[in-house]
Amino acid sequence: MKTRRRDFLRMAGLMGLSLPAAKALYAQWLEDEKNFHDLPKRNEEYQKSHNQRFNMSGYAAPAIDNVRVGIIGLGNRGPTYIKTMGPFKGVQINALAELRPEKARQAEKMAKEYGHSPDVYTGDENAWKKLCERDDIDLVVVTTHYPAHAKMGIYAMKNGKHTAIAVPVAATIEECWDLVKTAEETKKHCMMLENCSYHTFQMTTLNMARTGFYGELVHGECAYNSSKMHNNFTKNFYWNMWWLREYASKKGNIYPTHGLGPICQMMDINRGDQFDFLVSMESRDFMMAEKAAELSTEDPFYDEFVGKDYRGNMNCTLIKTKKGRTIMLQHDATSPSPETYIMGAYGTKGASLKYPFPSRICTGNHRWASQDEYEKVMEKYKPRIIKTFHEMAHKLGGHGGSDAYKSWRLIDCLRGGFPLDIDVYDSVTWSCILPLSSWSVCNNSNSIQIPDFTAGAWENNERNMDIDLANYASTELK
Amino acid sequence: MTTKRRDFIKMATMAGLSLSAANVLYAQHQEKEKNFSDLPRQIKEFQKNHTQRFNMSGYAAPKISTVRMGIIGTGNRGSHHAGTICRVSDVEIKAAADLDPGRLERIKKNLENTDHNPEYYYGSEEEWKKLCERKDLDLVLITTPTYMHAKMAVYAMEQGKHVITEVPAALTIEECWDIVKTSEKTKKHCMMMENYSFMPFHITTLNMAKQGFFGEIVHGDGAYNTSKMGNNFGKTVYWNMWWLRMYGSRKGNIYPTHGMGPIAQMMNINRGDQFDFMVSVESRDFMMQKRAKELAREDPFFEEFANMEYRGNMSSMLIKTKLGRTLNIQHDATSPSPHNLIHGVYGTKGAVLYDPAPPRISTGNHKWADKKTYDELMEKYKPGMLHKFEDFRKGLGADLKSGHGGSDLINVWHIIDCLRTGLPLDQDVYDAAAFSSVVELSEWSVLHNSNSIQIPDFTAGAWESNQPNMDINLNNGSGDTRVLK
Repeated sequence: MKTRRRDFLRMAGLMGLSLPAAKALYAQWLEDEKNFHDLPKRNEEYQKSHNQRFNMSGYAAPAIDNVRVGIIGLGNRGPTYIKTMGPFKGVQINALAELRPEKARQAEKMAKEYGHSPDVYTGDENAWKKLCERDDIDLVVVTTHYPAHAKMGIYAMKNGKHTAIAVPVAATIEECWDLVKTAEETKKHCMMLENCSYHTFQMTTLNMARTGFYGELVHGECAYNSSKMHNNFTKNFYWNMWWLREYASKKGNIYPTHGLGPICQMMDINRGDQFDFLVSMESRDFMMAEKAAELSTEDPFYDEFVGKDYRGNMNCTLIKTKKGRTIMLQHDATSPSPETYIMGAYGTKGASLKYPFPSRICTGNHRWASQDEYEKVMEKYKPRIIKTFHEMAHKLGGHGGSDAYKSWRLIDCLRGGFPLDIDVYDSVTWSCILPLSSWSVCNNSNSIQIPDFTAGAWENNERNMDIDLANYASTELK
Repeated sequence: MTTKRRDFIKMATMAGLSLSAANVLYAQHQEKEKNFSDLPRQIKEFQKNHTQRFNMSGYAAPKISTVRMGIIGTGNRGSHHAGTICRVSDVEIKAAADLDPGRLERIKKNLENTDHNPEYYYGSEEEWKKLCERKDLDLVLITTPTYMHAKMAVYAMEQGKHVITEVPAALTIEECWDIVKTSEKTKKHCMMMENYSFMPFHITTLNMAKQGFFGEIVHGDGAYNTSKMGNNFGKTVYWNMWWLRMYGSRKGNIYPTHGMGPIAQMMNINRGDQFDFMVSVESRDFMMQKRAKELAREDPFFEEFANMEYRGNMSSMLIKTKLGRTLNIQHDATSPSPHNLIHGVYGTKGAVLYDPAPPRISTGNHKWADKKTYDELMEKYKPGMLHKFEDFRKGLGADLKSGHGGSDLINVWHIIDCLRTGLPLDQDVYDAAAFSSVVELSEWSVLHNSNSIQIPDFTAGAWESNQPNMDINLNNGSGDTRVLK
């Protein structure tokens, strides 16, 4: 420890810091390290000290006939919600907040095209708060960079707004608990906008899981393996290169929800089963540091990204559930191999596998079904949500229509006063993989307990993700 | 702990043991548990105390003109191998041993109308030793239940025989070190016949790895997911229901090598890279105990299996290598889903994926190649071994099919040819030990909340300079060993 302190102080001295400043920095650094390594203990304490104030699972807020929407963050994902919520009856986009004035103006123009006249908040880091504070908004959509999601979601709920937040909803365990506590205290929805739950294959296999096709589900495999090398290294593709900064400073699965969400729904996580613990292992970085070094030889813009300890190419996480199931979750944002979410589900009586294409199902006879049989089974298990909305979704588009499904369901449930498809417990359970996998990777891949954000209510909670449209307010396009 | 002791003693006395006998038994049980929990420390000590006596990597034993061999265990794999061995020249099966004379009938049948006329050993538990002790054998093939492999391999090597053994070669870390030490001491080969490594797709992708197709390999997914429910619960498939007993008493990946071996070879494990540590997570058993109970209701034969605590359906493990690569290795012997080896290998410049069929290749453009490009690449990277087999096929005018996608015959032919020509074998004792070591390590991890455990370096540091084996391009040359009709 002594040597480390000496090294640290010497380094700080080289950076031109005074000795007292360096000492203060070192104390802070030690504290951060200790806090991070203490995560298992803190986890236990959080769990022990938490009492569920109100069970948000199955919660139906009072119906809102005309849903007044505000959107924070109009870079890449925000405009999707103008496109997919804007066209519905009973939706009124009243406000937009975006730090960058030009993006804000573009979004305002788009909103006008859909017949909305939002007020615009821009140019100030805290402008989004004013949006949350308005009293003519029912739903705040948060589509900023994810480190800001939780604080914005919490602020919005505290100001009496339902929230819908892009993935992941939180970056730390504290933020996860804060979201849960705030939702329970304010009785406001906090739905993570996990679009993969609304893909045709995922909704159909969810229906198959619920109707016994798999027998007992034993194991699930999922991934978000999709190269972001181009996006991450493109100048200002993401605001302030924020994604590249994430890769340059984090370990673990920093984008877990796309693969994980649908598998959790099939396994009834938070409602019949619950995560128990996880381990996470990560390859070293074989590509990003090299790419940064290469770019900086031509362009000093990239100098600050050189020599960073990047997230490894491939992160693998294994999760065990209380009922003894397992989940294998991957994240690889660099590989030049084809995109895959895997989406494999294996049960005692059947199996399905979405990737690599063509997607497959097995009826438990040790063979993948023929294309003909596959289509018959998919047709047989097609849930009502697809039958009702398929055409409209494909017209509106966004990630193969899944964005449209998601926006429509969210608006329809708010208008009908129904429980949402994804609640605050799902949002944080799927998101908490970030800090937990990071801890595991940094601790020799040892296992770490996954919090039960439902505080035991998972044993009795009813299913959400209402693919049968048991509750349906018939929200239509304008 | 006190409660556990009380329960244990109560059970023992109920079973008719005296109190003192029960106490002794409990002490033993405690010792065993403690030893197992202590595995990480033992691994460190084994490693610290081990000095490589002789580096068996790249070792070429003196030439043998006709390979005289004996086979121990003639139930399933032994008899199957005998059938394959008959199709290779310059080898003579001179002896075969099996406890159960009934099982010898299988090999006899496979050797009918061949030039092989082995002497048979059977009827007592120690008969196999007599086979090992014969002076007229060069090679012993071990195809008994997995938990017998290591002790038989050690004995055979000590008797001056080269050893080839079925997978896995050992079930404990101690056994892994035993085969390594014995091989180094006796300078006898100890090759685990990881036959899946010789499947045409696998040796072609290994060749691609050797030629740099993948850039740097980052990650591999491998599995042996194939239902053995029918076999394991069949009354006569495995001797004394030994596989069912394994599932009924072990945790972890008890059959790791088919999924892991081929990927480890592509990553140059033991020769340029080395395993570092691993974790293992296992589902609970959803099927086996239920099946055992069901069967026991109709048939008292299954009563002893009805309450066993079975290995979970799906065993997953993650392995990290010293160079920072990762492997994800699965074993599922119950699922009614299709046979799946995965064999997905991902590099900085390309990728391959064997299962689900059809196999695929990506040249690093975010797409799987079309059929035409795939065929061209498979042809371009076809290793010398497959060309050699095409020559055999043309020469014989016969089909050269063999078990496991043709891998069994390639594997056996090359073993015999290397022994006859005095060449290093494709897989050495370090591979056998490294690929098998995860059996006990995964069990430890599963029973310790899936925490990570160090994987021994059986090469004692030599991995940094060991040269690649798996001579799939026959760069070391080849002899005149022929494949027969």
